[in-house]
Amino acid sequence: MYSASLFGVIVRIVQNEELAADLLQESFVKIWNSFDSYDEKKGRIFTWMVNVARNLSVDKLRSKDFRNNSKNQDIDNSVISIDEQRSTTLNPEVLGVKEMVDNLKPDAKAVLDLIYFKGYTHVEAAEELGIPLGTVKTRIRLAIISLRKLFN
Amino acid sequence: MEDLKAYIESGVLELYVLGDLTEGEKLEVETMLDKHPQLRNEVTEIEKSLESYSQASAVNPPEDLRSKILGDLETSDSRSETPVIPLNQPKNIRFYKYGFAASVALLILSLIALINMRSQLKESQNQITALQLSNRQYSSRVNFVEKQLDEANQSLSIFHKPDEYKIVSLKGTPKAPSARMMVAFNPEKAEVMIDLASVEMPANDNSHQYQLWALVDGKPVDLGVFDADRDSVGMIKMKTLKNAQAFAVTLEPRGGSINPTMEMMMAMGEI
Repeated sequence: MYSASLFGVIVRIVQNEELAADLLQESFVKIWNSFDSYDEKKGRIFTWMVNVARNLSVDKLRSKDFRNNSKNQDIDNSVISIDEQRSTTLNPEVLGVKEMVDNLKPDAKAVLDLIYFKGYTHVEAAEELGIPLGTVKTRIRLAIISLRKLFN
Repeated sequence: MEDLKAYIESGVLELYVLGDLTEGEKLEVETMLDKHPQLRNEVTEIEKSLESYSQASAVNPPEDLRSKILGDLETSDSRSETPVIPLNQPKNIRFYKYGFAASVALLILSLIALINMRSQLKESQNQITALQLSNRQYSSRVNFVEKQLDEANQSLSIFHKPDEYKIVSLKGTPKAPSARMMVAFNPEKAEVMIDLASVEMPANDNSHQYQLWALVDGKPVDLGVFDADRDSVGMIKMKTLKNAQAFAVTLEPRGGSINPTMEMMMAMGEI
Protein backbone atom coordinates (compact mmCIF):
# COMPACT_ATOMS: atom_id res chain seq x y z
CA MET A 1 0.00 0.00 0.00
CA TYR A 2 2.77 2.39 1.00
CA SER A 3 5.27 0.88 -1.39
CA ALA A 4 4.41 3.17 -4.32
CA SER A 5 4.58 6.27 -2.09
CA LEU A 6 7.90 5.17 -0.62
CA PHE A 7 9.21 4.24 -4.05
CA GLY A 8 8.23 7.70 -5.31
CA VAL A 9 10.31 9.33 -2.59
CA ILE A 10 13.28 7.02 -3.07
CA VAL A 11 13.36 7.21 -6.85
CA ARG A 12 13.34 11.02 -6.67
CA ILE A 13 16.25 11.00 -4.28
CA VAL A 14 18.50 8.55 -6.14
CA GLN A 15 17.26 9.28 -9.69
CA ASN A 16 17.75 5.65 -10.67
CA GLU A 17 14.93 3.10 -10.80
CA GLU A 18 17.15 0.08 -10.34
CA LEU A 19 18.94 1.49 -7.33
CA ALA A 20 15.59 2.74 -6.01
CA ALA A 21 14.19 -0.78 -6.21
CA ASP A 22 17.13 -2.10 -4.18
CA LEU A 23 16.69 0.69 -1.66
CA LEU A 24 12.96 0.06 -1.36
CA GLN A 25 13.73 -3.55 -0.58
CA GLU A 26 16.36 -2.51 1.96
CA SER A 27 13.91 -0.04 3.49
CA PHE A 28 11.24 -2.68 3.98
CA VAL A 29 13.75 -5.04 5.55
CA LYS A 30 14.93 -2.30 7.88
CA ILE A 31 11.35 -1.28 8.70
CA TRP A 32 10.51 -4.90 9.37
CA ASN A 33 13.49 -5.59 11.58
CA SER A 34 13.35 -2.37 13.54
CA PHE A 35 9.61 -2.35 13.88
CA ASP A 36 10.00 -2.51 17.67
CA SER A 37 11.57 0.94 17.64
CA TYR A 38 8.49 2.52 16.08
CA ASP A 39 6.52 4.37 18.73
CA GLU A 40 2.88 4.89 17.89
CA LYS A 41 2.65 7.90 20.15
CA LYS A 42 5.41 9.75 18.33
CA GLY A 43 3.67 9.89 15.00
CA ARG A 44 1.97 8.18 12.11
CA ILE A 45 3.53 5.04 10.79
CA PHE A 46 4.00 6.36 7.28
CA THR A 47 6.03 9.30 8.61
CA TRP A 48 8.31 6.84 10.30
CA MET A 49 8.55 4.64 7.24
CA VAL A 50 9.29 7.48 4.86
CA ASN A 51 11.99 8.78 7.16
CA VAL A 52 13.62 5.34 7.27
CA ALA A 53 13.50 5.13 3.48
CA ARG A 54 14.79 8.69 3.04
CA ASN A 55 17.67 8.19 5.46
CA LEU A 56 18.69 4.95 3.75
CA SER A 57 18.54 6.59 0.34
CA VAL A 58 20.53 9.65 1.38
CA ASP A 59 23.10 7.45 3.11
CA LYS A 60 23.40 5.40 -0.04
CA LEU A 61 23.74 8.47 -2.21
CA ARG A 62 26.52 9.84 -0.06
CA SER A 63 28.27 6.56 0.59
CA LYS A 64 31.71 6.00 -0.83
CA ASP A 65 30.35 2.94 -2.62
CA PHE A 66 27.83 4.91 -4.61
CA ARG A 67 30.17 7.76 -5.42
CA ASN A 68 32.78 5.34 -6.75
CA ASN A 69 30.18 3.78 -8.96
CA SER A 70 28.94 7.03 -10.36
CA LYS A 71 31.92 8.66 -11.97
CA ASN A 72 33.81 9.38 -8.74
CA GLN A 73 31.92 12.49 -7.86
CA ASP A 74 32.44 13.94 -4.42
CA ILE A 75 29.64 15.11 -2.16
CA ASP A 76 29.47 18.63 -3.53
CA ASN A 77 29.38 17.47 -7.10
CA SER A 78 26.70 14.92 -6.39
CA VAL A 79 24.56 17.56 -4.75
CA ILE A 80 24.99 19.76 -7.78
CA SER A 81 24.17 16.91 -10.15
CA ILE A 82 21.00 16.14 -8.25
CA ASP A 83 20.17 19.80 -8.55
CA GLU A 84 20.83 19.70 -12.27
CA GLN A 85 18.42 16.82 -12.64
CA ARG A 86 15.80 18.58 -10.59
CA SER A 87 13.88 19.65 -13.66
CA THR A 88 12.93 16.00 -14.17
CA THR A 89 11.85 15.57 -10.57
CA LEU A 90 8.30 14.58 -11.32
CA ASN A 91 7.85 11.51 -13.45
CA PRO A 92 5.29 11.28 -16.25
CA GLU A 93 3.23 8.90 -14.11
CA VAL A 94 2.38 11.71 -11.74
CA LEU A 95 1.48 14.40 -14.26
CA GLY A 96 -1.90 15.04 -12.71
CA VAL A 97 -0.28 15.66 -9.38
CA LYS A 98 2.26 17.90 -11.01
CA GLU A 99 -0.51 20.20 -12.11
CA MET A 100 -2.07 20.14 -8.69
CA VAL A 101 1.17 20.76 -6.93
CA ASP A 102 2.09 23.44 -9.40
CA ASN A 103 -0.62 25.49 -7.72
CA LEU A 104 1.74 25.74 -4.75
CA LYS A 105 3.91 28.80 -4.58
CA PRO A 106 7.01 27.83 -6.56
CA ASP A 107 9.45 29.11 -3.96
CA ALA A 108 7.77 27.14 -1.17
CA LYS A 109 7.46 23.98 -3.27
CA ALA A 110 11.13 24.14 -4.27
CA VAL A 111 12.23 24.08 -0.64
CA LEU A 112 9.83 21.31 0.37
CA ASP A 113 10.82 19.16 -2.62
CA LEU A 114 14.50 19.61 -1.87
CA ILE A 115 13.96 18.23 1.60
CA TYR A 116 11.16 15.76 1.06
CA PHE A 117 12.07 14.40 -2.33
CA LYS A 118 15.78 15.12 -2.46
CA GLY A 119 16.83 14.29 1.03
CA TYR A 120 18.38 17.64 1.76
CA THR A 121 18.43 18.93 5.30
CA HIS A 122 16.95 22.38 5.73
CA VAL A 123 20.46 23.68 6.33
CA GLU A 124 21.66 22.24 3.04
CA ALA A 125 18.56 23.62 1.31
CA ALA A 126 19.31 27.08 2.68
CA GLU A 127 22.86 26.87 1.36
CA GLU A 128 21.69 25.49 -1.96
CA LEU A 129 19.14 28.20 -2.54
CA GLY A 130 21.18 30.93 -0.93
CA ILE A 131 18.44 31.99 1.49
CA PRO A 132 18.43 32.34 5.29
CA LEU A 133 17.48 29.39 7.48
CA GLY A 134 14.42 31.20 8.81
CA THR A 135 13.13 31.69 5.30
CA VAL A 136 13.60 28.03 4.56
CA LYS A 137 11.53 27.09 7.59
CA THR A 138 8.81 29.55 6.69
CA ARG A 139 8.63 28.31 3.13
CA ILE A 140 8.40 24.71 4.28
CA ARG A 141 5.52 25.65 6.52
CA LEU A 142 3.78 27.56 3.79
CA ALA A 143 4.15 24.67 1.39
CA ILE A 144 2.67 22.23 3.83
CA ILE A 145 -0.20 24.53 4.64
CA SER A 146 -0.94 24.75 0.93
CA LEU A 147 -0.82 20.98 0.71
CA ARG A 148 -3.25 20.73 3.55
CA LYS A 149 -5.70 22.95 1.73
CA LEU A 150 -5.10 21.08 -1.50
CA PHE A 151 -5.78 17.61 -0.13
CA ASN A 152 -8.56 18.58 2.19
CA MET B 1 -1.71 30.10 23.81
CA GLU B 2 0.32 32.81 22.09
CA ASP B 3 3.43 30.83 22.81
CA LEU B 4 1.98 27.74 21.18
CA LYS B 5 1.02 29.68 18.07
CA ALA B 6 4.50 31.10 17.80
CA TYR B 7 5.88 27.61 18.30
CA ILE B 8 3.74 26.26 15.47
CA GLU B 9 4.67 29.11 13.19
CA SER B 10 8.38 28.64 13.83
CA GLY B 11 8.16 25.65 11.46
CA VAL B 12 9.90 23.33 13.91
CA LEU B 13 7.00 20.86 13.78
CA GLU B 14 7.38 20.52 10.02
CA LEU B 15 11.08 19.84 10.42
CA TYR B 16 10.21 17.32 13.13
CA VAL B 17 7.93 15.44 10.77
CA LEU B 18 10.53 15.63 8.00
CA GLY B 19 13.05 14.06 10.39
CA ASP B 20 15.28 17.08 9.93
CA LEU B 21 16.09 17.82 13.58
CA THR B 22 18.99 16.92 15.85
CA GLU B 23 18.36 14.42 18.63
CA GLY B 24 18.19 17.20 21.22
CA GLU B 25 15.71 19.25 19.24
CA LYS B 26 13.65 16.12 18.62
CA LEU B 27 13.41 15.38 22.34
CA GLU B 28 12.40 18.99 22.98
CA VAL B 29 9.58 18.79 20.43
CA GLU B 30 8.41 15.47 21.88
CA THR B 31 8.17 16.94 25.36
CA MET B 32 6.14 19.81 23.97
CA LEU B 33 3.87 17.39 22.10
CA ASP B 34 3.25 15.41 25.30
CA LYS B 35 2.26 18.61 27.09
CA HIS B 36 0.02 20.10 24.43
CA PRO B 37 -2.51 18.00 22.54
CA GLN B 38 -3.01 20.93 20.23
CA LEU B 39 0.55 20.58 18.99
CA ARG B 40 -0.02 16.87 18.58
CA ASN B 41 -2.98 17.58 16.29
CA GLU B 42 -0.89 20.00 14.30
CA VAL B 43 1.79 17.36 13.81
CA THR B 44 -0.79 14.80 12.71
CA GLU B 45 -2.13 17.30 10.17
CA ILE B 46 1.35 17.90 8.81
CA GLU B 47 1.96 14.17 8.59
CA LYS B 48 -1.30 13.61 6.72
CA SER B 49 -0.49 16.37 4.24
CA LEU B 50 2.93 14.99 3.47
CA GLU B 51 1.49 11.51 3.28
CA SER B 52 -1.05 12.65 0.72
CA TYR B 53 1.66 14.54 -1.14
CA SER B 54 3.84 11.47 -1.41
CA GLN B 55 0.83 9.34 -2.26
CA ALA B 56 -0.04 11.74 -5.03
CA SER B 57 3.53 11.61 -6.30
CA ALA B 58 3.76 7.87 -5.89
CA VAL B 59 5.67 5.82 -8.44
CA ASN B 60 4.80 2.18 -8.86
CA PRO B 61 7.82 0.01 -8.15
CA PRO B 62 8.68 -2.82 -10.58
CA GLU B 63 6.27 -5.77 -10.44
CA ASP B 64 8.78 -8.40 -9.38
CA LEU B 65 9.99 -6.29 -6.47
CA ARG B 66 7.04 -7.26 -4.30
CA SER B 67 7.86 -10.96 -4.19
CA LYS B 68 11.55 -10.14 -3.85
CA ILE B 69 10.89 -8.02 -0.80
CA LEU B 70 8.56 -10.57 0.75
CA GLY B 71 11.24 -13.24 0.25
CA ASP B 72 13.81 -10.93 1.81
CA LEU B 73 11.59 -10.27 4.81
CA GLU B 74 11.15 -13.99 5.35
CA THR B 75 14.88 -14.65 5.44
CA SER B 76 15.61 -11.65 7.63
CA ASP B 77 12.81 -12.62 9.96
CA SER B 78 14.99 -14.78 12.21
CA ARG B 79 15.91 -11.73 14.25
CA SER B 80 12.39 -10.49 14.74
CA GLU B 81 10.01 -11.83 17.33
CA THR B 82 6.98 -10.72 15.30
CA PRO B 83 4.89 -13.71 14.24
CA VAL B 84 4.87 -14.22 10.49
CA ILE B 85 2.85 -16.56 8.29
CA PRO B 86 5.51 -18.65 6.53
CA LEU B 87 6.72 -20.30 9.71
CA ASN B 88 5.50 -23.72 8.60
CA GLN B 89 8.29 -23.88 6.08
CA PRO B 90 11.14 -24.66 8.51
CA LYS B 91 8.82 -27.20 10.11
CA ASN B 92 8.41 -28.84 6.72
CA ILE B 93 12.13 -28.79 6.09
CA ARG B 94 12.71 -30.25 9.52
CA PHE B 95 10.16 -32.97 8.76
CA TYR B 96 11.93 -33.83 5.52
CA LYS B 97 15.29 -33.75 7.29
CA TYR B 98 14.08 -36.21 9.91
CA GLY B 99 12.35 -38.26 7.25
CA PHE B 100 15.52 -38.46 5.23
CA ALA B 101 17.60 -39.41 8.27
CA ALA B 102 15.06 -42.08 9.19
CA SER B 103 15.10 -43.60 5.70
CA VAL B 104 18.89 -43.66 5.65
CA ALA B 105 18.94 -45.36 9.06
CA LEU B 106 16.32 -47.85 7.89
CA LEU B 107 18.32 -48.56 4.76
CA ILE B 108 21.49 -49.21 6.79
CA LEU B 109 19.60 -51.46 9.21
CA SER B 110 18.07 -53.39 6.32
CA LEU B 111 21.48 -53.84 4.72
CA ILE B 112 22.96 -55.12 7.98
CA ALA B 113 20.03 -57.49 8.43
CA LEU B 114 20.40 -58.69 4.84
CA ILE B 115 24.12 -59.36 5.27
CA ASN B 116 23.43 -61.19 8.53
CA MET B 117 20.76 -63.34 6.92
CA ARG B 118 23.06 -64.10 4.04
CA SER B 119 25.88 -65.33 6.26
CA GLN B 120 23.43 -67.32 8.34
CA LEU B 121 22.01 -68.90 5.20
CA LYS B 122 25.51 -69.82 4.04
CA GLU B 123 26.31 -71.32 7.41
CA SER B 124 23.08 -73.32 7.36
CA GLN B 125 23.85 -74.59 3.89
CA ASN B 126 27.31 -75.69 5.05
CA GLN B 127 25.77 -77.45 8.01
CA ILE B 128 23.26 -79.17 5.76
CA THR B 129 26.02 -80.49 3.46
CA ALA B 130 28.02 -81.67 6.46
CA LEU B 131 24.95 -83.39 7.88
CA GLN B 132 24.14 -84.99 4.55
CA LEU B 133 27.71 -86.25 4.31
CA SER B 134 27.71 -87.74 7.81
CA ASN B 135 24.22 -89.12 7.16
CA ARG B 136 25.50 -90.90 4.08
CA GLN B 137 28.46 -92.18 6.07
CA TYR B 138 26.14 -93.47 8.76
CA SER B 139 23.77 -95.14 6.31
CA SER B 140 26.63 -96.88 4.53
CA ARG B 141 28.03 -97.83 7.91
CA VAL B 142 24.59 -99.17 8.89
CA ASN B 143 24.39 -101.09 5.62
CA PHE B 144 27.77 -102.57 6.26
CA VAL B 145 26.94 -103.48 9.84
CA GLU B 146 23.61 -104.95 8.75
CA LYS B 147 25.37 -107.09 6.22
CA GLN B 148 27.87 -108.22 8.83
CA LEU B 149 25.02 -108.90 11.23
CA ASP B 150 23.22 -110.96 8.57
CA GLU B 151 26.27 -112.99 7.95
CA ALA B 152 26.94 -113.44 11.63
CA ASN B 153 23.34 -114.52 12.14
CA GLN B 154 23.74 -116.99 9.30
CA SER B 155 26.83 -118.52 10.90
CA LEU B 156 25.14 -118.51 14.27
CA SER B 157 22.12 -120.35 12.87
CA ILE B 158 24.50 -123.02 11.62
CA PHE B 159 26.21 -123.37 14.92
CA HIS B 160 22.84 -123.54 16.62
CA LYS B 161 21.94 -126.65 14.69
CA PRO B 162 24.56 -129.20 15.80
CA ASP B 163 22.30 -132.06 14.61
CA GLU B 164 22.34 -131.00 11.01
CA TYR B 165 25.86 -129.59 10.77
CA LYS B 166 29.07 -131.14 11.87
CA ILE B 167 31.61 -128.56 12.83
CA VAL B 168 35.03 -129.60 11.78
CA SER B 169 37.91 -127.70 13.22
CA LEU B 170 41.03 -127.60 11.06
CA LYS B 171 44.41 -127.14 12.75
CA GLY B 172 47.70 -125.93 11.37
CA THR B 173 50.30 -128.25 10.03
CA PRO B 174 53.99 -127.83 10.87
CA LYS B 175 54.11 -125.58 7.78
CA ALA B 176 51.74 -123.10 9.42
CA PRO B 177 51.43 -123.99 13.09
CA SER B 178 49.10 -121.11 13.97
CA ALA B 179 46.68 -121.77 11.13
CA ARG B 180 43.12 -122.51 12.18
CA MET B 181 39.65 -122.53 10.63
CA MET B 182 36.25 -124.13 10.92
CA VAL B 183 34.24 -125.98 8.31
CA ALA B 184 30.57 -126.85 8.68
CA PHE B 185 29.47 -130.06 6.99
CA ASN B 186 25.93 -131.31 6.44
CA PRO B 187 26.06 -134.81 4.99
CA GLU B 188 22.28 -134.92 4.40
CA LYS B 189 22.15 -131.75 2.34
CA ALA B 190 25.69 -132.37 1.00
CA GLU B 191 26.61 -128.86 2.17
CA VAL B 192 30.13 -127.73 2.99
CA MET B 193 30.63 -124.24 4.32
CA ILE B 194 33.60 -122.28 5.60
CA ASP B 195 33.12 -119.93 8.54
CA LEU B 196 35.18 -117.01 7.33
CA ALA B 197 35.25 -115.39 10.75
CA SER B 198 37.12 -118.36 12.08
CA VAL B 199 39.75 -118.39 9.34
CA GLU B 200 43.11 -117.63 10.86
CA MET B 201 45.57 -118.27 8.10
CA PRO B 202 48.51 -116.28 6.75
CA ALA B 203 47.10 -113.89 4.13
CA ASN B 204 47.52 -115.17 0.58
CA ASP B 205 49.00 -113.00 -2.16
CA ASN B 206 47.37 -112.15 -5.45
CA SER B 207 48.82 -115.08 -7.36
CA HIS B 208 47.79 -117.71 -4.80
CA GLN B 209 44.57 -118.92 -3.19
CA TYR B 210 43.69 -121.41 -0.52
CA GLN B 211 41.96 -124.58 -1.75
CA LEU B 212 39.75 -126.78 0.42
CA TRP B 213 39.96 -130.50 -0.05
CA ALA B 214 37.95 -133.38 1.37
CA LEU B 215 39.50 -136.75 1.97
CA VAL B 216 37.00 -139.33 0.77
CA ASP B 217 38.19 -142.88 1.16
CA GLY B 218 41.83 -141.76 1.16
CA LYS B 219 41.47 -139.62 -2.01
CA PRO B 220 41.48 -135.79 -2.12
CA VAL B 221 38.33 -134.20 -3.56
CA ASP B 222 38.37 -130.51 -4.66
CA LEU B 223 35.88 -128.38 -2.77
CA GLY B 224 36.81 -124.97 -4.22
CA VAL B 225 39.11 -122.02 -3.46
CA PHE B 226 38.86 -119.13 -1.01
CA ASP B 227 40.86 -116.12 0.15
CA ALA B 228 42.07 -115.60 3.67
CA ASP B 229 40.93 -112.13 4.53
CA ARG B 230 40.94 -110.99 8.14
CA ASP B 231 37.96 -108.65 7.82
CA SER B 232 35.49 -111.01 6.13
CA VAL B 233 32.80 -112.69 8.17
CA GLY B 234 29.95 -115.10 7.37
CA MET B 235 29.81 -118.46 5.70
CA ILE B 236 30.73 -119.29 2.13
CA LYS B 237 29.33 -122.38 0.48
CA MET B 238 31.85 -124.71 -1.14
CA LYS B 239 31.17 -127.54 -3.59
CA THR B 240 28.70 -130.26 -2.57
CA LEU B 241 29.85 -133.39 -0.86
CA LYS B 242 27.95 -136.24 0.83
CA ASN B 243 30.68 -138.09 2.52
CA ALA B 244 34.11 -137.25 3.88
CA GLN B 245 36.50 -138.40 6.56
CA ALA B 246 38.64 -135.28 6.77
CA PHE B 247 39.17 -131.74 5.36
CA ALA B 248 42.45 -130.13 4.41
CA VAL B 249 43.58 -126.77 3.05
CA THR B 250 46.49 -126.22 0.70
CA LEU B 251 47.96 -123.09 -0.82
CA GLU B 252 47.62 -123.35 -4.59
CA PRO B 253 48.12 -121.02 -7.56
CA ARG B 254 45.12 -118.74 -8.04
CA GLY B 255 42.12 -120.64 -9.38
CA GLY B 256 43.13 -123.88 -7.72
CA SER B 257 44.75 -127.09 -8.86
CA ILE B 258 43.37 -130.46 -9.89
CA ASN B 259 45.49 -132.29 -7.36
CA PRO B 260 46.54 -130.88 -4.05
CA THR B 261 50.15 -129.76 -3.62
CA MET B 262 50.93 -131.80 -0.53
CA GLU B 263 53.97 -129.67 0.42
CA MET B 264 51.77 -126.67 0.73
CA MET B 265 49.20 -128.23 3.11
CA MET B 266 48.44 -125.57 5.69
CA ALA B 267 45.69 -127.02 7.88
CA MET B 268 43.84 -130.23 8.38
CA GLY B 269 41.04 -131.66 10.53
CA GLU B 270 39.28 -134.96 10.83
CA ILE B 271 35.54 -135.38 11.18
